Amino acid sequence: MNHLPEDFVFSQSSLQDYVDCPRRFQLKYLLRQRYPAPEVDDLLEFERRMAQGERFHHLLHQHAVGLPADVLQAGISDDEVRGWFDTYLANGLNGVPERRYPEYSLTVPLGDYRLLAKFDLLALGDDKALIIDWKTSRHVPRRDRLQARLQTVVYRYVLAKGGTALNGGNPIPPEQIEMRYWYADHDGQEVAFNYDAAQFKADADYLEGLVREIEDRERFPLTDDMARCAYCTYRSLCERGKYAGSLDEWEQIDEPTDLDDLDFDFDQIAEIAF
Amino acid sequence: MRLLKDQQRVASEHLDTRLYLDGLAGTGKTTAAIERVKTLIRNGVPASSILIWVPQATLAIPYRQALQRARIDADTNVPTTTIGKLAYDMVKLFWPMIANKKELGFQQSEQSNQIEDPHFLSLELVQYYMTRHLGPEIDTNDYFNSVHISRNRLYTQIVDNLNKAALVGFAPDTIGDRLKSALGESVEQSFIYDDAQKSAAKFRELCLQHNLLDFSLQVELFVKHLWPLKEVQRYLTSNFRHLIVDNIEEDTPASHDILRDWLPQTDSALLINDSGGGYRRFLGADPINAAELRDLCQVHITLDNHRVMSKELEALHDELAFSLHQTNDMPDSDVDARDAIAYAPDISYQPQMITWAAESIAALVHEQGVPPREIVIMAPYMPDALRFSLQKELDLQLVPHRSHRPSRALREETASRTLLTLARLAHPQWNLPANKFDVANMLAAAITELDLIRARLLADVLYRQGKLAPFTGITNDALTQRITFDLGMRYQTLFDWLQEYQSQDALPLDIFFSKLFGEVLSQPGFGFHGQTDAANVAANLIDSAQAFRQTISEIEPNLDIPVEYVKMVEEGVIANQYLRDWEDDKRDAVLIAPAYTFLLANQPVDYQFWLNVGSSGWAQRLYQPLTHPYVLSRQWQSGRRWTDDDEVRTDEQTLAYLALGLVRRCRKQIYLGFSQYSEQGYEQRGDLLMAIQTMLRRLNRSEANA
Repeated sequence: MNHLPEDFVFSQSSLQDYVDCPRRFQLKYLLRQRYPAPEVDDLLEFERRMAQGERFHHLLHQHAVGLPADVLQAGISDDEVRGWFDTYLANGLNGVPERRYPEYSLTVPLGDYRLLAKFDLLALGDDKALIIDWKTSRHVPRRDRLQARLQTVVYRYVLAKGGTALNGGNPIPPEQIEMRYWYADHDGQEVAFNYDAAQFKADADYLEGLVREIEDRERFPLTDDMARCAYCTYRSLCERGKYAGSLDEWEQIDEPTDLDDLDFDFDQIAEIAF
Repeated sequence: MRLLKDQQRVASEHLDTRLYLDGLAGTGKTTAAIERVKTLIRNGVPASSILIWVPQATLAIPYRQALQRARIDADTNVPTTTIGKLAYDMVKLFWPMIANKKELGFQQSEQSNQIEDPHFLSLELVQYYMTRHLGPEIDTNDYFNSVHISRNRLYTQIVDNLNKAALVGFAPDTIGDRLKSALGESVEQSFIYDDAQKSAAKFRELCLQHNLLDFSLQVELFVKHLWPLKEVQRYLTSNFRHLIVDNIEEDTPASHDILRDWLPQTDSALLINDSGGGYRRFLGADPINAAELRDLCQVHITLDNHRVMSKELEALHDELAFSLHQTNDMPDSDVDARDAIAYAPDISYQPQMITWAAESIAALVHEQGVPPREIVIMAPYMPDALRFSLQKELDLQLVPHRSHRPSRALREETASRTLLTLARLAHPQWNLPANKFDVANMLAAAITELDLIRARLLADVLYRQGKLAPFTGITNDALTQRITFDLGMRYQTLFDWLQEYQSQDALPLDIFFSKLFGEVLSQPGFGFHGQTDAANVAANLIDSAQAFRQTISEIEPNLDIPVEYVKMVEEGVIANQYLRDWEDDKRDAVLIAPAYTFLLANQPVDYQFWLNVGSSGWAQRLYQPLTHPYVLSRQWQSGRRWTDDDEVRTDEQTLAYLALGLVRRCRKQIYLGFSQYSEQGYEQRGDLLMAIQTMLRRLNRSEANA
């Protein structure tokens, strides 16, 4: 039985949620159920870090579209963010090709649906296609864990499959693609992953398999890894605990929720009048 | 859907030039435009270099859905925008380039070069600032003393005037003079417009002082100060090489002005004009200004094959157009327009009309297999009483329904009342004690299986002097047994949680709500557990409280924010309307909506039910004593006076546009609901009813003559 709407768009977050806990995927993306329990114990600090991350990403976007660094620096009131921005200016763009697309989104077909990737920065050179994801996390995850994350899988795959229009009508060879995580809070430490045709093929099989599995599912079971439930807002709905887990132990602080969820629609001014 | 020849031309020809497409609603303009976008993408154009521009966000939904479903082996993620979104995005991105411009009047730090970030105001925060800062000003100066409308409606019109200034392109300090010169015949009316001007100026001053950007200021900054900068223009015109601009007639001069500059810089563009449209006039839409963009396009195509209306509906459209004086040509059709309508038998009162509508819908759904989503019920206005009666009758008929109208005020929802009462109990320092009635209701809602009678007993015994007492404090055994040990322990859990909370520093209100929801109320045995609607309401309340805190705390750090928030919710200023859920409501359900809301969503249906056909509201504008959509438009000639003839003419035009626009968005049949007396007991003989009766008499006569 297929529960997916015809115009469903997969993303690395939704697929990661599915892999982590099918029930969470069902509640969040299929039923679109909101459940406003805390995600972590210290919500104020969580909010502060989220705001810092958002501010940092916005600064980099502004810089990428040509606003002078000194003007941007003058507007930073948070010392940590200023430090991150200085680090970025010092080494964030080292070896980054000149044709740059900040905050760029791409979709590609995936089964009967589409798969979306939102890149912080996409940079293309003659023989290189670099995806950069700016990270403001306090922890740098282990390389093997990063490699296994759906973000690494999805971003490289989407660019290889859907980058043609950006490359003069020619597909970008997987071998030219590099995915780079850049850690602002760790002096610009990088964790980079190359790509190749074999991995592209393996990723295609994996992602298509996931979608088929979701389409065929009768039930969406809870995760077996109960530790995840401490950071999931649905924990009380699933009867998996009362209290949110510790913020300090959460490694994924950069991508706790879809930032899309935070967008506010200023068009509503016109809607309200009706 | 197979495309007709002219649609094909739009979809696949003139891909390197500017194309102007017009035609009535239902002739397939948007369908052709969607196909054009697909063709561009198939031809190798990056989806990200195409921009779909619409006057309101909902009009982009058909594009998004079609492109998400498209079987194209390339990126189809085409951005969509409105003038509001574009202004917001550009101001946010390029703010440092204008923040320190002295002529804009923003207060920036004089000690350093530091640029302070702006605060983007949602409509609810605009209402808040108006209430807090403008309200006392209005009271002190006795502004608007001859206007008898609610404060919130007053504020809405002040906002509306500022928005018009930005969207139409006149200086906000000329609002009062413009209105006075056209409408200020009496001294009293002139005073009203003077007061409207002073209020708008006061609000704008407040915004500039604190870097608050309401919708009007965002648009003004974008149009007047950012768009002229070469960096901004280059950013937009180099990123978006292909424009698809739909419903230009519903858009505003601000959009048209930008497009006038932008169009010559594109690789291709498609401008779409709905020839019979212009429904958003009261929001600044200007179809005359829009039509001038035609001259910037090299190719013009008109679509004239109706692809929505049946032959009978086409006949009805033409007959109605004749009755509404939109054409002098007597309609000549080989089918009977009367077959496109059904109407109620003689009905005197509104409840009978509602029952008739619900029964007719039930027959369509249950006997003829019509999907509920293919039915819409509308009226010129959709007050709560009418909406509620319709919902009740449809429930009785087992017909699913949805309401295209902002949901109830959050303060009226049980879930938010429960959270707000608990917040008062947890914060005795606010000096806002809950009343016993609210405490009993809170307990009934918070503890599963606790009925209201026992909740009242608990409140009577355990709620004293603004404080709850522990369940273990009850000494009356009979009472303990009546409550039951199990329910008593749940009460105790809630009590203990509140006690524990009070032993620590108070949290921001939204965080307090979230923890209370997660740690108690949504746990098994408590009232929100598994209650998805309650969870949605709680989430909306938390969002609202968080947005309030985040903005207000930066501007007024000394304000007692939680207390202010609770007061504002109770007064209906904050959390009064919530719009986040309905836009994505795709349920297969009958839609209940005001007529204009349906019209502007631009989604045709098989069956329409027009209720209160005798109401004069189909032709009249809303009563807005502080503003005027025609006078505050770019088409208004300076120095002209608004006359009674203007009023009659625009009412006639309004009715014709609305009625014919609705017919064009119907595929099969229109049910006309009419009751002799209105809700208030007045006889109903509005212009729409008159026009329909004239039409029917004419058709009956010609049938008799034949």
